[in-house]
Amino acid sequence: MNIGVLYSGGKDSTLALMKAKQHHKITCLITVISENKESFMFHTPNIDITQLQAKAMSLPLVSVATKGEKEAELTDLKKAIVEAIKKHKIKGIITGAVKSTYQASRIQQICHELGLWCFNPLWLKNQVELLNEIVSKKINALIGGVFAEPLDKSYLGKKITKTMVEKLAAIASTHHINPAGEGGEIETTVLDAPIFNKKIKIVKHETAYEKNSGVFKILNAKLVNR
Amino acid sequence: MILIISTCKEKLSELEFVLPIARIIGKCVLRHHTEVTDRDIASAKKIILTGTALKDFEYLKHDFRWLKNVKIPVLGICAGMQIIAKEFGIKLENKVNIGVKPVQVMEENKLASGTFNAYFLHTKTGTGNFKTLAVSENTSCMIKHPTKEIYGCIFHPEVMNEELLRNFAIR
Repeated sequence: MNIGVLYSGGKDSTLALMKAKQHHKITCLITVISENKESFMFHTPNIDITQLQAKAMSLPLVSVATKGEKEAELTDLKKAIVEAIKKHKIKGIITGAVKSTYQASRIQQICHELGLWCFNPLWLKNQVELLNEIVSKKINALIGGVFAEPLDKSYLGKKITKTMVEKLAAIASTHHINPAGEGGEIETTVLDAPIFNKKIKIVKHETAYEKNSGVFKILNAKLVNR
Repeated sequence: MILIISTCKEKLSELEFVLPIARIIGKCVLRHHTEVTDRDIASAKKIILTGTALKDFEYLKHDFRWLKNVKIPVLGICAGMQIIAKEFGIKLENKVNIGVKPVQVMEENKLASGTFNAYFLHTKTGTGNFKTLAVSENTSCMIKHPTKEIYGCIFHPEVMNEELLRNFAIR
């Protein structure tokens, strides 16, 4: 089955893609670029990097910009999926949804309306196990955004390693956060993975942090040999 | 041992609809519905028939006639409930229901009580002569065979109602 991956460039959609690739043919990535920083569905600090990630995986990218207003962004997502159906003959969608019934049900609804299969290979996965799988599958994901206490600026730009997983798991046990950031506490950007033909090298970045939230913004990056 | 039977046509869907249930239940035997043997049924203490992807209807083409002779408790979730309904001659009606909805238990039972929210993901359902145990938006969402311990649950308890699955496993 030809599949399109709803791709944010983060660890979850990358892991979901890797799992789907074992069973189906991935024919494109689909990305929604939201201008709304509060977007429930699509906010990711380094969403622009999906262009490089698509090149790194030799996959076409279908991207659509949205103002990120609550229901209008779903219409924009639907438009992108329709384009993916036309251009890349997709019969199904992959998402990296783990726990959010808000996100999952809306994407299920769109797939139902368009007659597509919907696969969520990380659905209900234990979040610490998920992080450990990111490490064991050699997905190089850096923390591109933190949006909850006690995650401070020291986390920004750090790689998800075994030590980082232990740290996040410990924080999750004492604070009300999801260790893998399913509630939007952490956003990640994948720089390299076994499915990449080339890896991403950050040339220039800036860090901003204020009032318990911050971003590691990649300003310039390029593909280099792995 | 609890036997968990996958109804998924696509292997990839099992990560979403089968493994989460197995994680909640713990020690169990997993089988795809096309590979279930008489020995599997005979050695099971309880059986769970899982749900599957919204686009998947392959399970409705298959034979589950063993359900009519089984003497142990069975719980069908979503597609699993549709299979039970079909085997017991209940007509399935088209009804799309996607998302989180309130559920109210109407009849005392060993799986769930009171009111709670649950995650729905289905396009068909049916009640027939089964007892309605719970309703959501005036429609049956949990049913039970009139005399046997055969339950159907059209919502997905593995998402927001793990206790229901544990109650089935323990009680």
